[in-house]
Amino acid sequence: MNRRDLGKLAAAAGLMGLAPMRWAHAQTRAESLRVLSEAGPNSFDPIGVGVNRSAIQAHWNTYDRLLSFGTQTRPDGTLTFDYYKIEGELAERYEVTDDGKTITLHLRPDATFHDGSPVTAEDVKWSLDRVVNTPVGKSQFSTGSMTSADQFTVVDARTIRITVPRADRFTLPNLAGTYPVIFNSKLAKEHATAADPWAAEWLKTNVAGGGPFKLDTHTPGQSLTLSRFDAWKNGALPGFRRVLWQMVPNAQTRRTSLERGDADIAQDLPPQDAVSMAQEGKVKVVGVPMSGAFQFIGMNNTKAPFDNVKVRQAIAYALPYQQMFDAALFKRGQPLFGGKPNEADGTQFPQPLGYDTDLGKAKALLTEAGFPVGFETTFSFELSLATVAEPVSLLVQESLAKIGIRVTINKVPGGQLGTLLQNKEVPFFFEGSAAYFADPDYFFRIFYNGPTRWNFGSYANPEFQALVEKTRFESDRAAYEADVTRMINLAKQEVPIILLWQPALDTGMQKSVEGYKYLFHRMLELRSLKRA
Amino acid sequence: MRERLLLLRYVLAENPVNLVALLLLVLLLGCAAVGPALVPFDPIATETAVALQPPSALHWFGTDQLGRDVFSRVVVAARLDLAIAFAAVLLSMAVGAVIGASMGYFRGPLDTIGSRTTDVLMAFPLFVLAMGMVAALGNSVSSVVYATAVINLPFYIRLSRAEVSVRRSLGYIEAARVGGSGHARILRVFLLPNILPALVVQASVNLGWAVLNTAGLSFIGLGVRAPAPEWGIMVAEGAQFIVSGRWWIATFPGLALMLAVFCFNLLGDGLRDVVDPRTRT
Amino acid sequence: MGFLVGRLLGLVPTLAGVVVVTFVLTHLLPGDPAVFFANSVTADAATIAAVRQKLGLDLPLWQQFFVYVGQLAHGDLGQSISTGQPVAADLLQRLPASLELTLVAFAIAIAVALPLGIAAALRPGSLLDHVCRVLSTAGVSLPTFVSGLLLIYLLYYLLGWAPEPIGRIDPFAIMPPRITGLLLIDTLLAGDTEGFGMAARQIVLPAVTMALFALAPLARMTRAAMLGVLSSEFIRTARANGLRRRTIIVSYALRNALLPIVTTLGMIFSNMLGANVLVERVFAWPGVGSYALDSLISLDYAPVQGFMLVMAGIFVLVNFVIDLLYAVIDPRTGLLTHA
Repeated sequence: MNRRDLGKLAAAAGLMGLAPMRWAHAQTRAESLRVLSEAGPNSFDPIGVGVNRSAIQAHWNTYDRLLSFGTQTRPDGTLTFDYYKIEGELAERYEVTDDGKTITLHLRPDATFHDGSPVTAEDVKWSLDRVVNTPVGKSQFSTGSMTSADQFTVVDARTIRITVPRADRFTLPNLAGTYPVIFNSKLAKEHATAADPWAAEWLKTNVAGGGPFKLDTHTPGQSLTLSRFDAWKNGALPGFRRVLWQMVPNAQTRRTSLERGDADIAQDLPPQDAVSMAQEGKVKVVGVPMSGAFQFIGMNNTKAPFDNVKVRQAIAYALPYQQMFDAALFKRGQPLFGGKPNEADGTQFPQPLGYDTDLGKAKALLTEAGFPVGFETTFSFELSLATVAEPVSLLVQESLAKIGIRVTINKVPGGQLGTLLQNKEVPFFFEGSAAYFADPDYFFRIFYNGPTRWNFGSYANPEFQALVEKTRFESDRAAYEADVTRMINLAKQEVPIILLWQPALDTGMQKSVEGYKYLFHRMLELRSLKRA
Repeated sequence: MRERLLLLRYVLAENPVNLVALLLLVLLLGCAAVGPALVPFDPIATETAVALQPPSALHWFGTDQLGRDVFSRVVVAARLDLAIAFAAVLLSMAVGAVIGASMGYFRGPLDTIGSRTTDVLMAFPLFVLAMGMVAALGNSVSSVVYATAVINLPFYIRLSRAEVSVRRSLGYIEAARVGGSGHARILRVFLLPNILPALVVQASVNLGWAVLNTAGLSFIGLGVRAPAPEWGIMVAEGAQFIVSGRWWIATFPGLALMLAVFCFNLLGDGLRDVVDPRTRT
Repeated sequence: MGFLVGRLLGLVPTLAGVVVVTFVLTHLLPGDPAVFFANSVTADAATIAAVRQKLGLDLPLWQQFFVYVGQLAHGDLGQSISTGQPVAADLLQRLPASLELTLVAFAIAIAVALPLGIAAALRPGSLLDHVCRVLSTAGVSLPTFVSGLLLIYLLYYLLGWAPEPIGRIDPFAIMPPRITGLLLIDTLLAGDTEGFGMAARQIVLPAVTMALFALAPLARMTRAAMLGVLSSEFIRTARANGLRRRTIIVSYALRNALLPIVTTLGMIFSNMLGANVLVERVFAWPGVGSYALDSLISLDYAPVQGFMLVMAGIFVLVNFVIDLLYAVIDPRTGLLTHA
């Protein structure tokens, strides 16, 4: 059976009222794309309670943002984003004053929303106001010194000005991030109520944007169809006219469909499948180590025995890194073990922490720490990470037993580990997380500092905290790098958490699909894809 | 008793299937009892250098992701799986029999409340209820035992209630009552032993369910903790490798699981023939 | 009529019990949904508190319960956070998929189990009897997640006979206008035979996987019931009277054996509806089972509660219908005239 039977497809499009019949008849396989992912969006609104990662893939492709990150090419030829180069998207250009406090953005004159109405500065202001008026949005935007609607001013119909109290390196990246999508405010306001002034209910299930793709149909948890917005002006027109995005929870089924040519792209491939698919060579597998993302072994630095730095170092020397990397991750990623010990190697972070497996050193450190016969502890990980975490935990258990540390493994169902971490109740665990912005101080501020659960080691070194504060607005490059170097040294010497690796984002695709680009949020950007 | 034994011999001789079931049971119990001492490899020792090897003369069932010997793990897993199943079924049989028998014997409000509660329990989608209980009680073997026992409870309550209801007005119970026996004694000495055979038949069928239930829970990641070998977890771990052609990791524990449940089900049939010869022809 | 109303009212306490137990169970789950759903790395304590308030989780438990019961009274099952949809809409969307799968599996099971059971009962102790017993027991011994996976590997991946084990219909096909939600029926109503074929092909594998499991109790019960009836006085009399064998089996024996069989049918049906969680998981079938599972793992209370309630509702209704069927089938009521 020909799965992409022309007539059937045309009839489908016509019947569902998706497109004019004549257009549909011109449809060919070359112009439609079928994507399979593990989960689907639970909202089309980037800001809300419990909005999942797949939601980014939905709003990233159906909305525009004012700015976007540039593009660079990796050594293997894969396109990736360039954090340090911010370009205009909906804003065709922008100016920053010398004191860094005022940003003026000029909107593209011919840009329209999907309903044909022009994009105005009013829409932009409404959209930015909306971010700072929602708790989740505000906590993100405040990392870029944007906290109040007063900071967004409409200059004229095509110009908007953003003022910040002081120059902030994170203001522009925040505008290029996932939250500040530009809504068709007139349309959205029609659905706002007194109880819901920002139309959160309506925007959760509807798209009011002007992005490169329009939403045609959505069956929650099953599928989503998108069609190209032909009047899109903010970049080159996407290569595909229609996109069918389906949710297939089972990774093996996604893989099989791709290899048999039924699907064009399969997302979120488990490492072992990525390896064997690449070996078999029926399809293309693109694996990009996720920048900013990392998996690690966490220890509660406030509780014995992990409050002792020697214990943490002993564990860092006792982990069987290479085995874990080979057997659990199938080498799909960038190691964060090994490397230069004790001292910073450049100012990028995460970077390898400088620890290698050395049981002799581990045993010695443990004895020095006052645990010559070891101790008992529990190692937790989350159910959803089990494919990688389970083998990791078994290897950790086995290896630590050799220096006398007896580990019980605890697999925690999804929602529960977050709460345990929030209450700082987990002594020893495997987790993963990611920071969107590449600046090392941003990484340290979230993951090595503060009272939230994201400070995975509950690390509280006064010197480190002072440096985190100091680097926040540091504009002197040399001073900044000196401070970051010191923080990296501390992260290596005191090992509040043991970084393991940056896992690769493995995406499988037909050989005919080109233009794949890795983005900071790890979801698919559809506009650059095309069929060769 | 001797009569029963004779019957047992007759049933075994007459029905070869029962013999097969009995042999299977002996094999399984053997694995559970002495398996850990006999297996060629340490079932939890990893050896990443030989990971994902197909079945060979050295590793009969191949090796898994961490290079552990699948054969050793399948054999050793019998102990945990059977232990959970037996514990859960015995627990729910004991509790269910006492509750059900009391309900049938005393009648009245106790019976009404008990029946209503049983109705509520029966109305739940049982597997999802078990999932919920394990998630709420925490991931451990004992949670799985409790959850499995609870979802099997209604069957025993209903069965023993029905059996006792029939018997409570029989002559020998009346006689005991007149003879001055207390309620507790009547239940303990005259009623419970008499309903035991029916309960045992039910139990042997439930053992199969209990094994499936345990494996199903660990398949979705609830229950038994690593590194303990358990068939359901092994199938779940192996499932991700089937498509890349490493079929052995999931298939062998899957077969072991099937065999165990198959054995209990056949045994249930056989036992029914022994205990309740009326259903035989 | 009064009997009917009385029976229906009797169902209310059971459902009320289910509501209470489910509520308690979900709220016993360790883990704070507010923390889980405030999932951005920039979320601080204030954000979590705001989320908790938005979800109504800052109220004392008993107040949350009354809020929930109040919602239920208005027919509102609440809102799912993970899917972003109202629970009632989610369930309505997915229930037909589960129902269709269960019904087809059920039909397959009956079509195989009844003849098998009858044949076994006619020649007890024969080779056929043993084969029937071993086959059906083997079926019930297959964990659905193992048999499902093996069927997919064999029939789709290796042999390519079965269609892609994803969902209910070819993704590029026309969805028939939704009337019953059961694709097999909707496609026929729309006169779309091609669509029917597609939907039928998709459902075969998961349905067979499930049917294997339901086969054993049915075949066994049929055999036992038929045996009981066949050895009874009136059959012997009928035989002695020289009635045709076929007449005896179908209109006398089978009809009298139907009572226990129907009871078993009811049990199996409701069990299958709740127990297809794993089958739906393996076949990416968009039903209620996998929905409940995901919600339970991600601390999404409302869908779990809604699922339990709906399943329990179906269970008691099915039992209610069985009771009615009993009255109809029972030869003593004379409602069913001779076939």
